[in-house]
Amino acid sequence: MKVVIMGCGRVGASVAARLSEEGHHVAIIDTNQYAFDRLPADFRGRRTVGSGTDHRLLEEVGIREADAFIALASGDNRNLLASQRAKHIFGVPTVVIRVKDPLRSELFEELGLRTFSPTKIGADLAYGALFPDLSIGNEA
Amino acid sequence: MYIIVVGGGIVGYGIGLELQMMPGHEVTIIERDTSRAAELRDELGEMVVAGDGSEVAFLEQVGAGRADLLITVTADDSANLVACQVAKHRFGVKRTIARVNDPRNEELFRLLGVDSTVSAAQAVMAQIETTLPEHTVVPLMSLTGSGLKVVDLHLQEGAPAAGRLLRDLRLPEQTLISLVVDEDGPRVPDGDTVLHIGDEVIAVIPVDAEESMRELITGRPESG
Repeated sequence: MKVVIMGCGRVGASVAARLSEEGHHVAIIDTNQYAFDRLPADFRGRRTVGSGTDHRLLEEVGIREADAFIALASGDNRNLLASQRAKHIFGVPTVVIRVKDPLRSELFEELGLRTFSPTKIGADLAYGALFPDLSIGNEA
Repeated sequence: MYIIVVGGGIVGYGIGLELQMMPGHEVTIIERDTSRAAELRDELGEMVVAGDGSEVAFLEQVGAGRADLLITVTADDSANLVACQVAKHRFGVKRTIARVNDPRNEELFRLLGVDSTVSAAQAVMAQIETTLPEHTVVPLMSLTGSGLKVVDLHLQEGAPAAGRLLRDLRLPEQTLISLVVDEDGPRVPDGDTVLHIGDEVIAVIPVDAEESMRELITGRPESG
């Protein structure tokens, strides 16, 4: 699979490392070049400094041939703009977006995007730990 | 009308000033930066609130559900886009207008249902292009919801439209030639009007008819 990842924070770096180790072609983007230090030394994917909201940059990293786009930058709005471009302009078949704000996450899910909210997942897990009998947040 | 403006920069401030002069409208200006919001409040008063205009909960607080119009004018295109989408899809705001800072985002904004986009680059380019003798089709404005736009056309050497009666031209459906400008000045044409090389024409055309109009006034399918 060819995967483009926006954002090389802890989550981005970890997904990138795992995909690359499994033999997938990974291109990872971050606005901060030092963010790539989080990647393991044997990471074989492509690192590009720049913004995932930039049309030209996405083209440069091969978004047109990508099978998947994962938006994991720190800003919800940036993730949403870049993802909708990947999906609707570049036709990437699988697009996954992290949206911290649970309400925004829910809305864009309704609009046909695949979002997840770490805020909601975290809250559900914390709550679920207190009441283990109620399987809240354990659907997956 | 209830109007929400997202972004209290120089553009948002200017809009606030203008709207203040128009009686009968209720206006809210949302500015994310609290100190900037306080500064604006000193000048514009109660209409300014501090908060995040792309956040669902905050838009609800300022009554987005009864807003007739939401305008986003921040310097951040992603915030502008998301605020318009939240307004439209969560709160059913009838009309959304977004400032587009990066011209390459314009197509995406339109595709995602933002009703109008405004960009400085677009406005300046239209001004420049209409003054160039070699310009062909320059979009002047779009007519919201109609699928039509107003364009400025300039008849080039070899134009199939030149030397023929207007009524004999095979114009795209719904096209209206509104004004013809030649060396004698502007005139409203009728079916007996003949267009000449060098004429300037203002026309209302369907949004997807730009290419066929270009061919008619240049003789070439692509702009050169």
